[in-house]
Amino acid sequence: MSQQNNAGVRSGVNQMKIIGQSTPRIDAAERVSGRATYTRDVYLDGMLFAHVLRSPHPHARIKSIDTSKARALPGVKAIVTHENCDYVWGAGSTAGGVQYSDDIKKITTQKRKAFNNPVRYAGEPVAAVAAVDRHVAEEAARLITVDYEVLPFVLNQEDALKPEAVKIWPEGNISPDARNQAQPTVQKRGNVEDGFKSADHVLEARYSTVMCHNAQMEPRSCVAHWEGDKLTVYTPTGGIANCHHDIARDLGIPDEKVRVICHYMGGNFGNKNQNQDADLITAVLAREAGAPVKLEFSRKDDFMGMHGRWPTVQYYKVGVKNDGTLTAIQLRTISNMGPYRKNNGGVSGIELYDVEHTESTLFPTYTNRTTSANFRGPSDPQGYYPIQSHMDDVAYAVKMDPVDFILKNMTKPNARTQFTNYTLDECIKRGAELFEWKKRWKPVPGSDKGPIKRGAGVAFMSFRAGVGSSSAVVTVDAKQQYTVYVGVTDVGPGAKTTMHMIGADELGVPLSQVKVVWGDTDTCPYSVGESGSRTTTMTGEAVIAAVRDLKKQIAEKGMPTGTAILKASATPNPRIQGKIRNCFGANFAEVEVDTELGSVKVVKFVAVHESGRIMNPLTATSQVKGGVAMGLGMALHENMIYDQRTGIPVVTGYYFDRVVTHMDAPDVEVEFIEADDGYGPYGAKGIGESGMITTPAAISNAVYNAIGRRIKDLPITRDKILGALA
Amino acid sequence: MKTFANANARTPQDAARRSQQARAAGQLPVFAGGGTDVLQLVKDRIVSPDVIVNLKTIPNLNQVTRSAAGVSIGGQITLDALSRNDIIRKDYPVLAEAAASVATPQIRNVSTIAGNVAQRPWCWYYRNAFPCFKNGGNQCFSFAGENQFHAIFGGGPSYIVHPSDTAPALMALGATFRIMGPTGEKRIPAADFFVLPRQNAAAENVLANDDVLVSIDLPAVKAGSRGHYFKVMDRETWTHAVVSAAVVLEMDGDVCRTARVVLGGVAPIPWRLPDVEQMLAGQRITDDLAARASETAITGARALSKNAYKIPMTKGVVRRTLLQVAQQA
Repeated sequence: MSQQNNAGVRSGVNQMKIIGQSTPRIDAAERVSGRATYTRDVYLDGMLFAHVLRSPHPHARIKSIDTSKARALPGVKAIVTHENCDYVWGAGSTAGGVQYSDDIKKITTQKRKAFNNPVRYAGEPVAAVAAVDRHVAEEAARLITVDYEVLPFVLNQEDALKPEAVKIWPEGNISPDARNQAQPTVQKRGNVEDGFKSADHVLEARYSTVMCHNAQMEPRSCVAHWEGDKLTVYTPTGGIANCHHDIARDLGIPDEKVRVICHYMGGNFGNKNQNQDADLITAVLAREAGAPVKLEFSRKDDFMGMHGRWPTVQYYKVGVKNDGTLTAIQLRTISNMGPYRKNNGGVSGIELYDVEHTESTLFPTYTNRTTSANFRGPSDPQGYYPIQSHMDDVAYAVKMDPVDFILKNMTKPNARTQFTNYTLDECIKRGAELFEWKKRWKPVPGSDKGPIKRGAGVAFMSFRAGVGSSSAVVTVDAKQQYTVYVGVTDVGPGAKTTMHMIGADELGVPLSQVKVVWGDTDTCPYSVGESGSRTTTMTGEAVIAAVRDLKKQIAEKGMPTGTAILKASATPNPRIQGKIRNCFGANFAEVEVDTELGSVKVVKFVAVHESGRIMNPLTATSQVKGGVAMGLGMALHENMIYDQRTGIPVVTGYYFDRVVTHMDAPDVEVEFIEADDGYGPYGAKGIGESGMITTPAAISNAVYNAIGRRIKDLPITRDKILGALA
Repeated sequence: MKTFANANARTPQDAARRSQQARAAGQLPVFAGGGTDVLQLVKDRIVSPDVIVNLKTIPNLNQVTRSAAGVSIGGQITLDALSRNDIIRKDYPVLAEAAASVATPQIRNVSTIAGNVAQRPWCWYYRNAFPCFKNGGNQCFSFAGENQFHAIFGGGPSYIVHPSDTAPALMALGATFRIMGPTGEKRIPAADFFVLPRQNAAAENVLANDDVLVSIDLPAVKAGSRGHYFKVMDRETWTHAVVSAAVVLEMDGDVCRTARVVLGGVAPIPWRLPDVEQMLAGQRITDDLAARASETAITGARALSKNAYKIPMTKGVVRRTLLQVAQQA
């Protein structure tokens, strides 16, 4: 299946030379041939190997740790525990959903450390060992004796809010806001009670979503190496600059004493932003041992020790008039943050609808589960699935085609909301046409006769595509060789390649005349970090600005001669006043539900997206397809299940998590509607999260259309389908 | 993982003896063929052997050979080779299909038929080192826990399901297992090879310490024999069966002379359905008979708290597989 064959681009922008052409990744050959050096491929002279001992209990106070037997094992060089490694892991938690910073550091009372006492989830690090090889390190970790006072635990977020629940933090189980106030956050417009009074129908429902692990291919790893007081850290990160600053801040050393290197990384999906506890643990072990140390998480370590998407319970109440006009939306969300709040725990979705009265209440709740945080569209797929499933039910209740219902009720440009450009209606209409919605959608859900029933569903998105600051440096030498320095690492979408294309196109030279240097804080300037679908927009603009400056210098001074080089740097900080800049899209799914076996098979999938100018159709298409496949996993399979009696997860790897395979990935027809709103590099917006965000909702609606039963709890597994039909 | 020694076996007797010698010396031996299961267990410290006895070095154990009585399948043949073998494909398609349905191409390229039959359960409690019956403990965590994929037949006190795809096919084909122990060879019919937890909750079969599963004999096929393995997975590939069925019918025109119906994924052993087999014998397999047989198939099924869906699923699997085999041209 060619990536390009079914990628249509309906161009509304001027043609460029390199930008807009399908361009293979500049590091594709290294990656597929095994020559790319990932963190695990880094071997330094005298390097030691580390192993982390993790808590077997979901909640326990450490009374004492005896490391004497482990220290006595030949080959053991350093052991760290909460007693001798007392560093706050700033990026490991936030205050009130606000990113940890020097200001927040002063305020927040709930600090997460590299090693915590008490331990608050099964799998939390208790100690780490550095030894001459992996086996000795693992053996030594087993020789550490920990005396635990086992404490009661709570896994479910609704249970955690009950008065009798164990308090995971002294202040209680509602995660406090940035001012340390432990109370739910409420966002309101109008008065929902007025809205419900004017409605002809009021529909209520409870939805739930579960923890899906990011499950990126490369588990967390780190190599740390001290030369005097300078620390070099090789680590897979989506943002070397942020990781670098975080490590320096957490260890209390100046930024310039830390170097972070990441030349290749195997996936992020929000799991490798900032620094990780693994980075701090490895750095401290290396300092204690006086030698470089490598730490490699197993897949199980990664599932238990890293974060996943926050599980939610969402109570929706929606008012609608007989003509399909929405009158009010009320939502109460209880998000399961685990014991540390690593993100705000919010859910998106209400903003998609134009309705006078809205009220959204969020309870970010602590539990004794693995921490929740960023995962491809952090607040979005688990926000979109409930509201767009519920709105699908609302559409059926007023006997409207769901596509017509969306077109009627979706947020459009109005006095309250101005967009830099708006193509949502176009995405939905074009998608419906490509998908043959009228032919595939069943006015009577579940009306197919046979045991195998087909149904169609749609979901749409309107998702931030902000602009912001990032830096780039561009040089040229006497041989007219250009070099672009950018602090990207490429978490998957192809940032190195995109920066290469932008540099060459803006310079007006072929790709072969431009080299890209990336992934090293000693050589690359600040880049925003590859999260939030923002690297193309933010770092891309910096490359353009630096190239323009360089061209100006060349015009003024002429090309350099001899060993001289010309160098330009730029840190633009673009702003948008009074308008929202969004990506738009609609995903359409047709499924076949086998009502005897409970299986769901996607038979047709159409994704029409507007992400501004499409820089590289090859990688942009892959992003949407990959996002759809991942969304399908969330819709149908993935669930980090815990044993309720012990508080230990039983789904700790690819096999049990049922992460989708190539065999599961549907053939996705991707079409882009191109636009240039005058912002971002040549009008580019983000694309990395778009395919994922609407997919669970589209699948949910298609399953409903096929069987006439609404599954209100993700994932839509066979037991739920067969249960609903029983 | 714990450091271990490797011992390359030269013959089945040699393998059994090396295992016995290690045990006598106070060491824990384990056998490995392809090692796909053992390696993961060792890495996770579910099993921490001192010696791994390598069966791959035994010559001529990776062949399918014809004999007057039928065929003999060397225990060390890979699942990939087995699924592509001409004799197996032609005469025993149910086994070829079952072997081809296992895991992923990478795993099938190295894993063996003996290892597939003798693999340990894929219960998430066992694989996550909970102290359950299979890990030397005295309880089954799934009973009051997360039992979505657990047994609806034959459970108690352990509720694991037998993970092998080839085992139901071998049972449907009336296989005999040839086992070499330190004291000599045993031949055990498939029906007696697998053991229920109520007999021995720690094990899945009769293999004793130091016993090597050497080869598997299949009787010659009778005229009109047809078969099919149907497997429901929890995604499109790389899971064990949620529910599967191995069906072998001996047909006389459109009348079923004898039937063998064995389920996978539903019980701690491959679960044979003698009542269904009896219903089918001497009958034309119509839609109606297949539907009635599928009702009979679930007689005696008992759901745990989270696996009731397996009962209607089993019905669907049996009905479809019977019709599929009956309607084969």
